[in-house]
Amino acid sequence: MNSIEVSGLKKYYGSVKAVDGISFQVKVGNIFGMLGPNGAGKSTTIETLVGLNKRTGGEIRVLDLDPGKEFDRLKPQIGVQLQNPSLFPRLTVREIVRLFASLYPDPLSIEEVISLVGLESKEKVQTKALSGGQRHRLAIALAMVSNGSVIFLDEPTTGLDPQARRHLWDVILLLKSRGVTVFLTTHYMDEAEKLCDDLVIIDQGKIIAQGSPKDLINQYFVERAIEFVDPGFTEEERNGINDLQIASRVIFENEESHIILYTDDIARSLTSLMDYAGGLSKPIADVIVRQATLEDVFLKLTGRGIRE
Amino acid sequence: MTIFKEMFIANVKELIRDRDGLFWLLAFPVIFIFIFGIVFSGTDESTFNIGIVTQSENIMIKQMIEGISDIQTFNVTQGTEEDELQALERGDRSLVLMVPDIDFNKVSQGQPIEIPVYYDASQSTTNQVLLPVIGQIFSQMEDMITGQVRIFEIQPQPMQTKELTDFDYILPGILAMSLMQLGLFGSLQFMNLREQKIIRGLGVTPLPRSTILSSEILLRVIVSLVQTFIIVAIGKLVFGVTIVGNILVLCGIVILGALTFTALGYMLIAFSKTSEAGRGIIQVVQFPMMFLSGTFFPITMMPKYIQPVVKAIPLTYLGDALRHVMVGATASYNLLTDLGILTAWLVVTLVLAIRFWKWE
Repeated sequence: MNSIEVSGLKKYYGSVKAVDGISFQVKVGNIFGMLGPNGAGKSTTIETLVGLNKRTGGEIRVLDLDPGKEFDRLKPQIGVQLQNPSLFPRLTVREIVRLFASLYPDPLSIEEVISLVGLESKEKVQTKALSGGQRHRLAIALAMVSNGSVIFLDEPTTGLDPQARRHLWDVILLLKSRGVTVFLTTHYMDEAEKLCDDLVIIDQGKIIAQGSPKDLINQYFVERAIEFVDPGFTEEERNGINDLQIASRVIFENEESHIILYTDDIARSLTSLMDYAGGLSKPIADVIVRQATLEDVFLKLTGRGIRE
Repeated sequence: MTIFKEMFIANVKELIRDRDGLFWLLAFPVIFIFIFGIVFSGTDESTFNIGIVTQSENIMIKQMIEGISDIQTFNVTQGTEEDELQALERGDRSLVLMVPDIDFNKVSQGQPIEIPVYYDASQSTTNQVLLPVIGQIFSQMEDMITGQVRIFEIQPQPMQTKELTDFDYILPGILAMSLMQLGLFGSLQFMNLREQKIIRGLGVTPLPRSTILSSEILLRVIVSLVQTFIIVAIGKLVFGVTIVGNILVLCGIVILGALTFTALGYMLIAFSKTSEAGRGIIQVVQFPMMFLSGTFFPITMMPKYIQPVVKAIPLTYLGDALRHVMVGATASYNLLTDLGILTAWLVVTLVLAIRFWKWE
């Protein structure tokens, strides 16, 4: 059974194709991720799913309702956190949660929601005095208090510190354990890997890969990644790495001056690489050997890093 | 209904916690009252205009008049009873003395000569100073004439003059202006919510958008009544303005005024994209309206070519209606005309606001 069904969804702004014919299904009780860089069409998709945007084409069913036509019936059944949280600046955390709770037929308890997002100590603080991370957590609390059967979260952990992110992941997993369907967007690969049962990778309004995180990694990578900081190779020396024939693919992340090699024979590749760099008197420091991640999948599919 | 109540409470908290905004909302009219109150109530305190009416050719009376005229702070005019009393009603005289001929038969029988003194009962400070002074002047004369016998008897004749002081005229104008600003600038609150995408965000909740506005408008109406209370209280207690009208009628007009300008404010922001633009357009509308509505200057003082503008703007009619009801000023228009034109403005601006409304 599916909570959300989308087929051929299009949303154009004039000549800009923000979302250009995407299709996916979200199973009841799953956490579904939409992964992609900024401007890929994630927010547009979420806003269209919750009825804020009118779609240009395609079909959407959320809880078997069309958000374009049956928005009023849908609203009481979903919780939504947008990137711009609707916070009245001078209401306190508790007051705004209370206001939102009053909007839904069967809300969660105010105390529970506030403690779930860890804002108990900020209960009496006006929202304008909250930090970015706290505002974010409050926005998620407002989505949760609806007690909706589908919760939409638009980049819920963007801008949070690592500890707050982990905490929020626990909250999202808790929602799942209660049978709530979660649709979230993110540009964090690790987040999608950790949380999502299913995900789509979206780039420039189109889905470029689809599946569970494990499937995607297995499908695109059986290799591991060797990642190191560029010790100052010239263009020619970089090309020399390719000529070593030690990697199925070499990626130069110019912005972070990182070089990534994908290989299924770590020992051989590492030895050759070290010898090569030593021969050039440009020894390599800070080498990381790791399993391929969704980040690698994205790099492989698009040829660019997700944050570029 | 619960949703409306919660939304209304949220609005109240937003308003009262905005200390700066609240200060201006309530203090601005008060500041205006004090500025105008001080400017207009302090007219010529150093000299009093005394009117004397007499037909007597008696030398004693003439000397008496000369004596009064010699007092530096008195500016004495003589005239007919009719002229002088009219001058008093206009506020051109502080006091009018009716001095009869001296009937020596009466004096010899020990009957005093009655001197009616007319004064404006509403000018209490003037009277408290002036009446005793006049009394003293006469008893000094009695001393000079007879040494002891009481010849004159001052008969105070308080008159409730219908004519208003400048400040009586201005107080309802300040209320009208406050209502205008409350309505026009209040719409910026919605503009801010819209600009911060709070309205859009609320669009995904079951909160009906109309509730956001209706709870806001109810709050505006309540604030307008609070403003009215403050303005009337200060006018009455500090500046001694007599409120003559029925308080329920006054509240009704206040609510109509608040709604009219709220609708006008919403119409203006419906045409503007950002709150900066909204603020600008509201300034452009409210500033000339403030001066051309007859709030601070009677409309008759304005040049003819500007009269059509004056007759078009809603503040003119709100001010007129409030003057009529609050202080009993002779209205420039029929009260029903005032209310009718305000209602017409309300309906037209409301229709335009709805037609061009932008939720996002």
